Parts: sequence; C-alpha cells; structure tokens
Amino acid sequence: MIAPLKDASASAPVLSSVNQGRADADLADVTRVLAGDVEAFEGIVRRWEGPLVNMAWRYCRDRGRAEEMAQEAFIRAWRNLGSWRRESSFSTWLFALAANVFRSDLKRFPTVNVPIEDAPEPAAPATQHRELAAQSIADSVRRAVLALPPRYREPVVLFYFHEMDIPAAARTMGVPDGTLKARLSRARALLRRRFPHLETAHAEIGVGDLDRGKEA
Amino acid sequence: MNRTGRDDGKIKLAGIDRILATEGPLIATSGFLASVMERVREEASAPQPIPFPWKRVVPGMLFVAGVFGWGAFKLIRQGLPEMGSISLAPPNLPAAAIQPVEQAGWVALALGISLLSWLLSRRLAGRSGLL
Repeated sequence: MIAPLKDASASAPVLSSVNQGRADADLADVTRVLAGDVEAFEGIVRRWEGPLVNMAWRYCRDRGRAEEMAQEAFIRAWRNLGSWRRESSFSTWLFALAANVFRSDLKRFPTVNVPIEDAPEPAAPATQHRELAAQSIADSVRRAVLALPPRYREPVVLFYFHEMDIPAAARTMGVPDGTLKARLSRARALLRRRFPHLETAHAEIGVGDLDRGKEA
Repeated sequence: MNRTGRDDGKIKLAGIDRILATEGPLIATSGFLASVMERVREEASAPQPIPFPWKRVVPGMLFVAGVFGWGAFKLIRQGLPEMGSISLAPPNLPAAAIQPVEQAGWVALALGISLLSWLLSRRLAGRSGLL
C-alpha cells in the first residue's frame, strides 16, 4: 500500500529549495497585492489551494463543504493580508488563519457525528477482498477521528496534515508543543481503545515521507 | 508516537498512524481558483466601508458623560443630609410568614449547590474526554 520513499538526505536540499522558491513567490505576491494589484492574489491561491482544500477536508470530510471553507479562508486571508508580520513564514500564517476559519465554521454548523464509542468498527477483513476490507478499516478510523471531542480532534487533524510535524501543527493551532502533544496522546489513546486490533497491523514508511512538506 | 521502530532509514508505523498518515491528496475542482478570484475581485471593487465617525461621537459622549456625572454629584450632595434622618426599621412580619420563606431559601440554596456541582462534574468529565 505504501511505497518506501526516496532517501531523506537526498530529497532534503530539493525540498528546501522548493520551499524557498515558494516563500519568495509568496512574499512577492503579497507585496504586489498590498500595493494594489488584485490579480497577484491568484498566485497565492494557485500555490495554496491544494493544501487548504486538503486541510478543510480533514476537518469536515465533505468535499463541497471543504471547498467552501477553503474559499472562506482565502477571502479572510485577502482581507487580512496586511496583518502578516513577516517574522513567520506565509504558510504558517495562512494555516493558522485557515484553522481559525474552519474551527468557527464547524462551531456554527457542526458536522453530523456520532460519539466515538458509537463509531462503527469494521468486521474482520475477508481474505478474498483484502483491499476493500483495508479501505473500510481506513474509512472507519478516519470517521472515528471526526467523532473525537473537538479539543482532541483538531490536534489529530493537524498533526497528520502536517505529516507528523508537531511544531508545525502546534503553530497552526496556536498552542505550545507540549499542549499539542498531550492532547494528541489523549486522542490516540481514545482511538486505540476504539480500534485495539489495529495496533498489530504494521506498514513501513520512509523517513523522507515523514519529513516531507515541513514548512520553509 | 505510534511508531514501532527504525530499520534501514525507514520508520515502522502502526495501524492508526499508518492509516491517518497516508491519506491521498484531494485536488481542488477546476473552478475553485476562478471562484475564489471572482469573490476577491468583488471584494476589491466594493466601496470601502464608511468608518465610524469617532471624531464626532467622542466629544458628544464626553459631554453626555459630563452632564450625567454632574447630575449625580448634585443629587448625592443634596441627598446626603436627608439620608442621615432616615432610620431603617425591620418590617414586623409574623413568624408563620417567615418560616416558609426561610425554608424556601434553604431549598433554593441546596438546588444552587447541586447545579454547581453538576456543572463542575460535566466540565471535568468533558476535559477528560469522556463527554
């Protein structure tokens, strides 16, 4: 299911130069937008639409709503572009702003969720349909994340969105690393209690995969 | 973490981590960019909101506050001598009327304490993730 990725040491300089290029483009576009060039915002949307739609999707698991929420986040970014203090990267600022938008949107119109105790647990995988069974288990786990209490759900969503980078997830949530770790640990304990048999299933993933996408 | 060990530059992830860490990317629909830019252009072309006229309001508010303050000062100055002559005597109520009121007070207090403890327990349970 998971192909081992390239060696992290080989991909790191490439990734960092990509991130640097992205950061430079962000800075240039923000400067142009603030100078009155509305069309320069298109570059920002083009670069960040994928990550923001994915992030919103992880918050609500509804494609249509994810795009609406991501659009709202871009509009909020457009309105508040002047408030980006260049001490942090543009992506850090944008993700934190988007998380706020998604959080308040879900507070106003919560997704219909069942409590984690009632989240369906998949039946034992049928050997002849292994892939379907694996898919069903994965769907159940992802639905169970949405069924977590909000204070534990968001750390899980952001931790995996940021490819298991705790500082990046903590920055997006606006909490200290320790707080995020504590909530994450509690969330994982709740999930483990719900899906005890999954602890025995293992797969391999390359180190490069875990480091991939860390912010510039 | 739910990682189970390293082996030749690879980290082994256990079930839940593996599932949540390996979700395929969702691609935005083709009209997404256009729709965002349309809204941005609408926002950009909309007239700027009229700022609240603080410069006009603040003097008015200060004037009103001054008038009320002056009025209160005059009232207190005139009312203080008369206040001294007022004596407050407790109302003369029969014991039969006081007793039920006293009992109702105790019931209200007990209900209040119960409500507070219920709210506190709900809050604590919510923090621990049980609710």
